[in-house]
Amino acid sequence: MALLQIGAQRTGSVSPVATAASSLIGIGEATVSAVIGGTRAAGLALLALPGLERDNAALRAQNRQLVEENARLHELAAAYAAETAVRPVVDLYRGVEARVIGFPPENESRTVTIDKGSREGVRRDDGVLAASGVVGRIATVGPFSSTVLLATDYTSRIPAILQRGRWWGIARGNLTSIVMEYVPQDAPIRVGDVVVTGNGRSFHSGAPIGIVTAIERGDAALYQTAVVKTLVDLNALDRVVVVPQ
Amino acid sequence: MSSFRSKPHVAPYVGPAWYVAATWLIVALVAQATIVHELAIRNVVPSLVLVVVVWYAIRVDTRRAAVYGLAAGFGEDALSAQTGASWTIATCLSALLASRLSRGFFADSIPLAASVTVVATLLRALVFWTIMALSGYPSGLGTMHFHEALAQAVLNTLVIVAAMIVARRFEPPTES
Repeated sequence: MALLQIGAQRTGSVSPVATAASSLIGIGEATVSAVIGGTRAAGLALLALPGLERDNAALRAQNRQLVEENARLHELAAAYAAETAVRPVVDLYRGVEARVIGFPPENESRTVTIDKGSREGVRRDDGVLAASGVVGRIATVGPFSSTVLLATDYTSRIPAILQRGRWWGIARGNLTSIVMEYVPQDAPIRVGDVVVTGNGRSFHSGAPIGIVTAIERGDAALYQTAVVKTLVDLNALDRVVVVPQ
Repeated sequence: MSSFRSKPHVAPYVGPAWYVAATWLIVALVAQATIVHELAIRNVVPSLVLVVVVWYAIRVDTRRAAVYGLAAGFGEDALSAQTGASWTIATCLSALLASRLSRGFFADSIPLAASVTVVATLLRALVFWTIMALSGYPSGLGTMHFHEALAQAVLNTLVIVAAMIVARRFEPPTES
């Protein structure tokens, strides 16, 4: 072994024995180093554990707080958007802004309860609008709240005009949509026509009701009928404006 | 002895205390007018008010059931715009029927409660829409109302069965 080493030294190379020995020792060194490193890291982690738990708890609390704050800000933004959306209607008609607070208990009719009543000047048959159009009319009035009969209720009747051509008709509720009846047969109604209110007991003329989605014409009928989709989503009402007669 | 014989037999009152029943009714009415609307399936909502009325009616005599149904129906009419006294009459009659049907059965029987709920829901819808039609509401929607009543009967039954199963978990065990 010594001769091999001397020989290798003389030729300036590394003997195979030395190579094997250094490789084995290298593996051992690496193993020992890894064990020491792991142990040190584990020890440090153990030492830092209480601090990490504290940090984790603090971060969780902060996260919860941020989530709550985010939800609150979203709600405020939505409320602000809803309020600003009806503001032009309030200004235009000098109406009373109200919030929807209740629904018919058994869904037997298409009505909603609002938080304004006779004390705020709401009267029976006043019109009710949302930012994008007609909602309905006041059916009953209490001192602090009122009930709005939605335009889609089966008993609702609103004088209506097809904006293109000014043909008159009656917008009757059909539970899910509105049917514009008594439109003359010669009126060339088209799908997409806008229907607005005519001057009547509850509304001034020109408040948008909806868009024509279908037309029913009978050859023998005196009038034609248009199915109208309301512009206002009556299932998602929040803020409305009561328009005085 | 003679006075003892002349007194009519009065069954002991076994229903819940009045304030418990009243609390349940108020909670049901408020929920019905605010939250339940969100659960509508094809415009049909479960009637928590009727479920509470049936729950009470199958535990008490017909007089108490009728008074309870009357109060519940009045509450619903007060919250509705144009129903007049239709809910009052319909709910009162349903409570009466529920109380009569449950005689001779255990009030905590789930099959009984489910059956009575179905019958009471259908009867209430029938009476309600009949009164509405008589009072001038546009008629001719009988098929739609029937379908809605059937759907509501299913929803009400699910609610009362679920409520009774949950209630059983919280009831203390009875001594045998």
